[in-house]
Amino acid sequence: MKARFPITKPTWPNNVPRPNPKRNVGLDYDTAWARRYPARLARAIFTDFISAPLVDLVAPTTIVGADALSRLEGPVIFAANHNSHADTAVLLKAIPQHLRHKVVVAAASDFFFDSTTKATVMSLILGAIPIERSKVNRRSAETALQLLDEGWSVIIYPEGGRSPDGWMHDFKGGAAYLSVRAGAPVVPVFIDGTDKVLPKSRVEPGVAPGGSGSEDRLGAKLRRHPVSVTFGRPLRPSEDTDARRFGGVIEDAVAQLGREVASDYYQARRHVEPSLTYGPPAAAWRRAWARPPAIKVSERVPRDSWPTTRF
Amino acid sequence: MRALIIERKLTRFAAARLASTFGTGRGAGLGPLRLTDREAPRDPGANWYGVTPLLSGICGSDLATVDGRSSQYFEHLVSFPFIPGHEVVAVMNEDGVDAHGRPLTKGTRVVIQPVLGCAARGLPLCPACEAGDVGRCQHLTAGHIRAGLQTGYCADTGGGWCEGPMQAHASQLYEVPETLSNDDAVMVEPMACALHAALRGSYDQASVVAVVGAGTLGLGVIAAINFLDSTNRRPRPRRVVVGARYLAQQRIARLLGANDVVPGDQLIRAVRTATHSMVVGRPNGSTPQLAGGADVVYDCVGSASSLAESLQLVAPGGQIVMVGMPGKASVDLAPLWQREVELVGAYAYGSEHFGEETAATFDLAIEMAGTMELGRLVTAHYPIERFEEAIAHAGMAGPRGAVKIVFEPGRKKASTQEGGPR
Amino acid sequence: MSPRPGFVLEVDRSTPPTLLWHGEAFKLQKLPLGTRVVYAPEPFAALEDPESAIRAALENPEGDQKPLSALLHADMKLTICFDDISLPLPPMAAPDVRQMVIEAVLDQAAEAGVDDVVLIAALALHRRMTEPELRHALGNRVYDAFAPFGKLLQHDAEDPDNLLYIGKTDHGEDVEINKRAAESDLLVYVNINLVSMDGGHKSVATGLASYKSLRHHHNPKTMRHSKSFMDAPASELHSANWRMGRLIKESGVNIFQIETTLNTDTFPENFKFLQKREWEWNLRDRITFAGASKALDAAPHKMARNILQGIKSPHALRTVHAGEVEAVHQKIVAEVWEQQGVAVEGQTDIVTMGLPYICPYNVNSIMNPILVACLGLGYFFNSYRGAPVVRKGGVAILFHPTRPEFHPGHHPSYIDFFEQVLPETTDPTVMHEQFEEAYATDPWYIHLYRTGHAYHGVHPFYMWYWISHALEHLDKVIIVGGDPATVRRLGFHPATTLDDALEIAKDTVGPSPTITHLHTPPLLMADVTP
Repeated sequence: MKARFPITKPTWPNNVPRPNPKRNVGLDYDTAWARRYPARLARAIFTDFISAPLVDLVAPTTIVGADALSRLEGPVIFAANHNSHADTAVLLKAIPQHLRHKVVVAAASDFFFDSTTKATVMSLILGAIPIERSKVNRRSAETALQLLDEGWSVIIYPEGGRSPDGWMHDFKGGAAYLSVRAGAPVVPVFIDGTDKVLPKSRVEPGVAPGGSGSEDRLGAKLRRHPVSVTFGRPLRPSEDTDARRFGGVIEDAVAQLGREVASDYYQARRHVEPSLTYGPPAAAWRRAWARPPAIKVSERVPRDSWPTTRF
Repeated sequence: MRALIIERKLTRFAAARLASTFGTGRGAGLGPLRLTDREAPRDPGANWYGVTPLLSGICGSDLATVDGRSSQYFEHLVSFPFIPGHEVVAVMNEDGVDAHGRPLTKGTRVVIQPVLGCAARGLPLCPACEAGDVGRCQHLTAGHIRAGLQTGYCADTGGGWCEGPMQAHASQLYEVPETLSNDDAVMVEPMACALHAALRGSYDQASVVAVVGAGTLGLGVIAAINFLDSTNRRPRPRRVVVGARYLAQQRIARLLGANDVVPGDQLIRAVRTATHSMVVGRPNGSTPQLAGGADVVYDCVGSASSLAESLQLVAPGGQIVMVGMPGKASVDLAPLWQREVELVGAYAYGSEHFGEETAATFDLAIEMAGTMELGRLVTAHYPIERFEEAIAHAGMAGPRGAVKIVFEPGRKKASTQEGGPR
Repeated sequence: MSPRPGFVLEVDRSTPPTLLWHGEAFKLQKLPLGTRVVYAPEPFAALEDPESAIRAALENPEGDQKPLSALLHADMKLTICFDDISLPLPPMAAPDVRQMVIEAVLDQAAEAGVDDVVLIAALALHRRMTEPELRHALGNRVYDAFAPFGKLLQHDAEDPDNLLYIGKTDHGEDVEINKRAAESDLLVYVNINLVSMDGGHKSVATGLASYKSLRHHHNPKTMRHSKSFMDAPASELHSANWRMGRLIKESGVNIFQIETTLNTDTFPENFKFLQKREWEWNLRDRITFAGASKALDAAPHKMARNILQGIKSPHALRTVHAGEVEAVHQKIVAEVWEQQGVAVEGQTDIVTMGLPYICPYNVNSIMNPILVACLGLGYFFNSYRGAPVVRKGGVAILFHPTRPEFHPGHHPSYIDFFEQVLPETTDPTVMHEQFEEAYATDPWYIHLYRTGHAYHGVHPFYMWYWISHALEHLDKVIIVGGDPATVRRLGFHPATTLDDALEIAKDTVGPSPTITHLHTPPLLMADVTP
């Protein structure tokens, strides 16, 4: 039996002017509901009991420098490098308990908020707020400042997107701007290894005859790989700090963390001396070639004592 | 006379249908078919002659009727109670005239063309009967005999599964030449079906032809293609690819001139190789669809799955000739539409045209059965008293290495040549 | 302790039963008295520091070729080609030789600042490799640096836009190879020489060729004149490839050939008994033999196959040479013979061999009957120099279950070859004339080869041509334990036991024939003095 009005939505008569429907997507999406208590509770449960064990399984994480945060009270702006969609899950696990559950994540509005359903899910499970990738959008800036005032910490990825090759790209100014306006400290974070866990899919779909055989695989593949999260010392802007200069300071701080991580594992036989965080200015394969392995992973498979069975 | 009859008893039809789920032909014991003593059918009138059956074959449509599995479509084209048996070679009990108007003397052997057309019904000829296509007669339910598409489905004519006599109209009689044995003669009717079906397919010398199913009809189609070529009536196609489930059938198919004979589940692969076709979908998937395919596919099984298989095999713009009698089938017709495939029914016989020559299918079939000694396909003879075994044997013909099972009324014991023709 | 050379044992009353491969199982079989069993040499020690050896080879080239570092400069087009999954057998435990060599080459390329680098798997008409297989051969680091950017390619012999016609040799043979490879400033080829047929000019002239080129030497006539194809001076296959390779060189393609040999330490710890002499089996060997053979017999066939296909061999780099093709190859072939050669005196009436579960063409796949014939009568039969171990008009007895099973994704044309061609003829020349063309040009097979993981449509024919010499040389071939209908379809005789096989052979070789048994794998090459 076909359902009709009033069970279904009414149709609009032709001769009555109709106002533009309010689109609840993108930067216009209102995330306030996700910060009310029921949603916060649900998110806390998800983060600690579903997301964290999953992260343990797929990306066993080494956390370095969390003690610098232990005496820090909120709100804090976390500025991290970005390689993979797994970054946020890993970071949320790494952030100390006293800050973890009052955190929002600045997420690209064109990807995470492009449909109402997706926007709802992202706000609920990640606590995401929409921002524009390349410049500071007035509305999202105001929202963020207001949240900082209310005591919410913000995770922001100043690169503006996931790096395609594992090297760090230039930082945009959003984190610095927020920090200066709100007076909140910026904690630089370097996340390493997530690009091996859930790589950014770099390949065009479709099978190319003669190609290496993996081209027809769409999208990323989840793989187990160890990950490290390094927190740096909090950076506090003073009254008269210039936002643009401060942005440079933040970028240098994250880069420095990256160098520390890399230099532990840098192996002598790399003849090319790359900029340890930014990578050599060269063709794609040489940049990939020069990347040291994030965590020392043994490449020699131990001799089998019994061949593994595959059914 | 002793005769097997089929009566309209719905409970028996239902019982037969149930029993036949355990195997074709199992409905014989429980079903509407039974052995009785009854009076011979009365002479319906002028030009009708009494004949006594010598041999009468068991056909797939008979098995479907006995098992209660015939389509409801036929309900109004039969009149109960009827004696089955439409593949008959008989002797004349009196002098008469044959379908061509030639005289027949008492004691001559004849084969019966079972379709009861306008002539047999005493009606003015409909357009089909006028053209000689008696299989397409439009008056199967009218006239001075009761409804019945063929002798063997009509209450007034009798049928072959009895000791005789039965009634046959002049238009149905064809004289059997001396050179044909009784076995050859009883194959004439099924071979006429096969011949007519083969000619319904428009293949030429460049075509690849596939035959699905290698029972009597399938083997008959292969034989017909060979026969038409060797008598210069139509050149054989480039390749005939046959899917035959049983080893005996495979052997006979090769003897009859098929190029590639493969087990049923390999037919698609064999057609692909013969046509160099691409395959749509995953190569090791379960239901491959050929992107190309055979130009003509003869479906000699008549089930939903054989029709689906035919659609997988036929080339775009090709033809599927439905030779085996189907019932209600649920088939995805999207490939039929997208590939512009012609689905063509092939029933019975009529007149065939080759350039200037026109011949009755039956005459061609008599020629074919004789020159190719198709009597070798008759595997066993049964008396009508042993009808349950006969029907069971016919139902399991494939696995038991048999092709055609016939009744020999008046015989006391059964005789079998297991293993098919030598 | 230096490894012991191979030797020939004569079976006497105190000889224990001999280990035989039988497809996905192994058996102990008592061989008749007087059978001579050829045992492979023990494996040489692997190199302690393979990476240094590779770097040294790259800097000290053989023949008329500069060191690699001198050949690399920033603006060049560099192509690195490597052997495909057919080698080595069984697949090597990580890190694969190709990984080590290519990493060394890329380190130098990175240092020189070469940007335009492409890697090509030189498959010829073999199947494309899957991602896990490429990762295993090249290592994750190389794979991740090239594959996502579309710089890791697999040779496509049916891509007209990517083939370059070089010319005709003086014997009228067309030479057509991969275009990117031909137009590079430097073509580095990374090769593994498992058997002496590999390497040399064959790497580029066959590995990167098209059907048009290959049919000049992959045909019955050439194979019959290759007695054997493992013995270069006597091999027409070798001569054809050399002509083609020299033409390629003359046309200006600069090839830096890197060839490697492996020691024959073929089986991991728990399967070591497979390469030990039976009378030297200790308790552990006997236990593991019993356990393994029972387990494989009891397991469902598919499981047994997966277990064995998963074995990664500990064989490792033994020697490496780099530089000019012919100079490198000459040294490498000598080293292969050094590791694998066994001196054998005289020929016998019968040769027997157990066939394992794997051949170059069914890695991670199913061994179909045609590959069984190719492995036994192609590769093992032809592993000799001088003369075959069995006399002309003798008999070969193979041990393999020869099931009629095929991998429909890898070997689709093999199924049709088995169903359509073999029932008609088992004569290589007849099938070459009547059927090869249709299979080579069938658009569906070409489609599966180019976009799937299938061997080229013509490949089963090449497998059959590989046995041309054996078919011509032998009077009878008997397969013990094989599926009878399948064995007959191949044109051979089925037998249930070795005694039955000898009974069948009696018509040819009489009641007390002399027998040679090849105890392989591990690989051996018979150096026969007639």
